[in-house]
Amino acid sequence: MSGWKIAILCCHYTNEATAEDVADIPAQIEIRRFPCSGRIEVADILRAFENDAEAVLVAGCERGSCHNRSGSLRAEKRVEAARKILEEIGMEPERVQMAFIPRLDTGAFVAAAKDTFEKLLEISPKGETTS
Amino acid sequence: MIIAERKPIGRILQMIAPFKKVAVIGCRGCVAICSAGGDREVETVAAALRLARKREGRPLETVEDTFVRQCDPEYLTPLEELRKEVEAVVSLACGVGVNLAADLYPDLKIYPGVDTSFYGANPSLGQWEEKCRGCGDCIIDFTGGLCPIARCAKNLLNGPCGGSQGGRCEIRPEVACVWHQIYERLKARGEVEKLTQIWPAKNWIPAGHGGPRERVRPDLQFNNNSKK
Repeated sequence: MSGWKIAILCCHYTNEATAEDVADIPAQIEIRRFPCSGRIEVADILRAFENDAEAVLVAGCERGSCHNRSGSLRAEKRVEAARKILEEIGMEPERVQMAFIPRLDTGAFVAAAKDTFEKLLEISPKGETTS
Repeated sequence: MIIAERKPIGRILQMIAPFKKVAVIGCRGCVAICSAGGDREVETVAAALRLARKREGRPLETVEDTFVRQCDPEYLTPLEELRKEVEAVVSLACGVGVNLAADLYPDLKIYPGVDTSFYGANPSLGQWEEKCRGCGDCIIDFTGGLCPIARCAKNLLNGPCGGSQGGRCEIRPEVACVWHQIYERLKARGEVEKLTQIWPAKNWIPAGHGGPRERVRPDLQFNNNSKK
């Protein structure tokens, strides 16, 4: 275990993954579900960092298959806004990742979580924490 | 409405560097409509400030609130109590709100969290365009309702500069030449003869010569208990 915490903010419809599905990622994974990824605000992403996450993955439905039509596209824009703020305060924008996941595909969800962890390895190779 | 834009977080952090507890106050007027200073933006700015300060090892405590308006004294009265609770206030209202709060509460350390930009309209979601410069001498009855002061890069009063191409401005080709538009509008309205009016050099006195402008309605001033 790296001592890192990764927060996953995701759409209720995206998947049914549980802590067991992401258990082989050597980090503490916190999954927070929203009614739709379009409901995830920039402040939610920033608060996740405030609560000691080293990286945040926002997961929404695949483009064109969002239960609420455009929720995941809106989430993508919020991710961009959050990245801009991270940059403004001297944090690597890559700490926020966006993934478009086929609905109820736990495999793709877990793969996106692993990608986020690998991105974190690139940013903080020695397992340093920001807080 | 008055259009504003969030200042860079680093700039706000400089303003509040000495403080441990600040209030971030939004306004439900224009800045909420233009998504610069409403409830959501208060949450975002407060979270960004706290996160940045936590990383600096100097945690910041924030109080978040959004007032109905910040340009009327009665809606600023919560500051009476709030200033006892925090060391400083970051206001996400336009400059009018920050000025009024500074006038009313001289000992309150209030700082602007947004840059106030222009008077604009919201032609589509997420987009705002300047339509008026508040010059105090409106002539848009002669120009088909379109303002050449706000919408012409050269503020011309007597027709296009001659540099526009295909109805586009030569300064910023992505912007329509307002004088081209004025001609089309007046022609469609059967009012093209209005273009024969020749305007002398603009009188800028109503635009702010002599300091801050003021408007008074004596009939509304009875029983006026506002702080001044």
